[in-house]
Amino acid sequence: MDIPILSLLILIPLIGAIATLFMGGERQKFAKYVAGVFAAITLILSLYVMFATEMGELSESYAWIQTSAITINFALAVDGLSILMVFLTALLTLLVIVFSAEEKDRPNYFHTLVMAMEVGLMGVYLAADYFLFYVMWEITLIPMYFMISWYGGPRRHYAAIKFLIYTHVASLVMLIGIFAMGFESMGMNGGVIDFSFENINALMPQTSEAFQAIVFVLLFFGFMVKMPSVPFHTWLPDAHVEAPTGGSVLLAGVMLKMGSYGIIRVCLECFPAGAEHWQWVIIAIGLISMVYGAYACIAQTDLKKMVAFSSISHMGMVMLGIGCLSDIGITFAVFQMFAHGLISAMLFMVCGFTGHALGTREMPLLGGLAGRMPIFATFMMISFMASLGLPGLVGFWGEFPLVYGFYEFIQANDMLWLILFCLLTLMLTAGYYIWAMQKTLFGPETTKIDLEHVHDISKPEFAALAVLAILVAVFGVWPDAALSFVEPYVDGLVATFGVI
Amino acid sequence: MDLTGIFGDYTAFAPIIILLIGALILPAVQFVGKRRTATWAVALVFAIVSLIVNAIMLTDGYTGEALGLYEYDAYSGLMILLFQIVLFLAVLVSNASTETTRLHVGAFYALMTGATVGMMFVAGSTDLLTIFVGVELTSISSYAMVTMKRKDPRAAEAGVKYVIIGGMSTALTIYGISMLYGLTGTTEIAAIAETTQLTGMNWMFAIAIVAMVAGYGFKIAAVPFHMWAPDVYEGAASPVSMFLATGSKKMGLSVFFQIFLVMFVAGTAVSQIAGEEVQYLFAIIAAFTMTVGNIVAIAQNNIKRMLAYSSIAQAGYILIVMAVMSEYALSAGLFHMFTHVFMKGGAFLIVGALICAGIGEKISDYKGLAKRAPFLAVAMMLFLFSLAGIPPLAGFTSKFFLFSSAIGGVDGVTSQWVWLAFIAILNSAISLYYYARVVKAMYIEKGASTEKIKVPKIFTIAIAICVIFVIVLGVYPQLIYDFCETAAGALLGM
Repeated sequence: MDIPILSLLILIPLIGAIATLFMGGERQKFAKYVAGVFAAITLILSLYVMFATEMGELSESYAWIQTSAITINFALAVDGLSILMVFLTALLTLLVIVFSAEEKDRPNYFHTLVMAMEVGLMGVYLAADYFLFYVMWEITLIPMYFMISWYGGPRRHYAAIKFLIYTHVASLVMLIGIFAMGFESMGMNGGVIDFSFENINALMPQTSEAFQAIVFVLLFFGFMVKMPSVPFHTWLPDAHVEAPTGGSVLLAGVMLKMGSYGIIRVCLECFPAGAEHWQWVIIAIGLISMVYGAYACIAQTDLKKMVAFSSISHMGMVMLGIGCLSDIGITFAVFQMFAHGLISAMLFMVCGFTGHALGTREMPLLGGLAGRMPIFATFMMISFMASLGLPGLVGFWGEFPLVYGFYEFIQANDMLWLILFCLLTLMLTAGYYIWAMQKTLFGPETTKIDLEHVHDISKPEFAALAVLAILVAVFGVWPDAALSFVEPYVDGLVATFGVI
Repeated sequence: MDLTGIFGDYTAFAPIIILLIGALILPAVQFVGKRRTATWAVALVFAIVSLIVNAIMLTDGYTGEALGLYEYDAYSGLMILLFQIVLFLAVLVSNASTETTRLHVGAFYALMTGATVGMMFVAGSTDLLTIFVGVELTSISSYAMVTMKRKDPRAAEAGVKYVIIGGMSTALTIYGISMLYGLTGTTEIAAIAETTQLTGMNWMFAIAIVAMVAGYGFKIAAVPFHMWAPDVYEGAASPVSMFLATGSKKMGLSVFFQIFLVMFVAGTAVSQIAGEEVQYLFAIIAAFTMTVGNIVAIAQNNIKRMLAYSSIAQAGYILIVMAVMSEYALSAGLFHMFTHVFMKGGAFLIVGALICAGIGEKISDYKGLAKRAPFLAVAMMLFLFSLAGIPPLAGFTSKFFLFSSAIGGVDGVTSQWVWLAFIAILNSAISLYYYARVVKAMYIEKGASTEKIKVPKIFTIAIAICVIFVIVLGVYPQLIYDFCETAAGALLGM
């Protein structure tokens, strides 16, 4: 019998979550080791899936619910699009556990929540059945809600409930889209709704253009709020500012990608005609998110809030790449998702560290930290530089080919002036990062806060950041390591569009 | 097992007969024995025996008829099962609850059993008059049960309100029935459907329908006939509130299915006599019921009132069935009724258990509950998230089926009821807000006391049963859903 590796990727974190849940009292200080072991096994498994197996052969499907009208399977699959996200999920979960090793407040529950998040995230990226996909999608909400409201900052109650309701509404709209797809496929293949990706994603492109255009919007809305795109982005800065560092890392690193993953996996695969119908809207949303996010960054004084807005800007870029509906656009949109996952994890770790080491993240109160905290300063610089797209680091490959793809698209449509928005964004991005760096790290040492007892980053934090920094550099000089997974998938996808 | 050997021609009545005997001898048991626990045990035994007998009949696929008025088939068997589960849970905790131990226990259990007999009788009825009698039996028993907490002015207020509104609902219903009888010369539902098909729709028929919808609308607390529900649930003892919210309301919904679905869509009556208009009437009632229920629930500070409004909203979701009028919708609706028993019933049981432990009914009284009573807090969280429709709990799965029924039918997507699905889904999101408030109070806010709470063991058992079903039905819905499909097929004769 074959080992059901994909199920294990979900099951192992689940066992980890249950195990840590019951480690109360004296044992709670060991929770981090237990969680760490389970996360490490998951990471090894995901690497095994990535490099040592033929991914197409791993698909699993078990009958789950079968009624006279509906077939639902517990179906899992992995391909070039999801594998990078699976790897990112496994990696960031482990790094969050390492980084948060010094969490003192009920560490067992903290680790339960982290592991539960991993279950949901893995499920979303591996699911090959719409019912399962939706179940996993919603499962991610609850641990994040508790993580914000237990371990968060002063306005955590407000932020947690806002996050919960906002994203829940969006996913319910998405659910209606899923129903519509199910029933439409029922009419097409004879009386039974089979919710598997295989069935629905094959049938949907044959539907009428009007149907595609409408259902595309329902699903797109659900995904877009998760990404989040302007004008439905307001939950994100609140959630990030209040969330603990570990929560922010998972939120920005992998949870936002659920949105863009969904757009590619569901909207583009099912509704090529719908995507073409709304192409300009997607592009407009992408451009606005990109520029608005970057513009809002300039005005922020809180480091973490600035990084949160920069996430909106970068996810806008992903949206823009998807909107091009071209080979290069989508390929690098996926790559940007991966790159942003690594970089934003670093960014939030750095900002989170600032918060708990100095007691504040307000930039006007900081200054000249490089002298006292050289290692911290180095990591901050690496992450900022990576995020603004310095060549040689991974962010460069997420941004410049993407802008090029967009350039090709607008050239074909005689709208070259739109490139100005991209240039504006790149300028603003460079501006707010360098400015922030200058205000916090360099210049005269601040006198506004007490720096007596400030210490540099601890060993576990160093380890987590170092791993990320290395990956940022490795993928920066060798992007092909990730692109080789994405390209075959995108080639197949774009072939269905009837455009290049 | 061959039940016909025991019950002979009355096999179709078997579960009812057992409970009826129970209802009649329970006061005597109390009078002779004078021991609460003994009476309770007898009531429980009757409930369990009847449950087992019905479960056997249901799984055997028994169908039968008695007296030409009552029919036992997959549909009535399933509804009876639901009422028996409710009765079982309510009786189980009643002896331990401090709210009910001071009552005339003999009468209390007899009334509860009698009310259940009424519900079960309704489930098997094929005639408007037997339905009417069954509903009255349940209602009159319920009036008495609500007012049994005599010292409590809130119970008195609730009782008076309940009686007056109940009386009005009865009057409206019988008015509607009399008109239908005048028009068609029969009170048998299938016959009415056939006759009306010949004569066509007229204004008198329409008035009759509206009067009956209003009359039974009171029973399920559909907006705008819902005002009594929060007061009654708040005033009554918690096991009684639970019994009313999960049992009595399901009876009302079952009446809707049995009268209107059979009249408009079942078997021979497929051609629409009043089709569209009635569907739109129900769609509007459903939309208002869920919206008003959920929005008013946000403002509640008393948890029983909040649960009452949320159960109004849940009835609104189930009314989607009446708008869509398809077999798939009916099986989804039946399934949602089952999951609702466990999640709403469980929530009421927790409230009842905490009242026994001296915790108030205000949401603010639940602060810090996670530390004081970890199991109850987890269970409450599961019930509430399930009610809000968070996967992988039972409430999500049943809502998945129910809401999807509004999107399409066998021929693909039909856009007629999509707006209703949108309203339902927005309501689901609203409901998460007030459920999350309770979760927040339990888990996140700090309470005044950190002392551990002790609740009666029997409550813990009843709640654990609900928790198990809320989880099991979430991941393995087929346990009940298969029966729901058969039942829907049986009722609609397809």
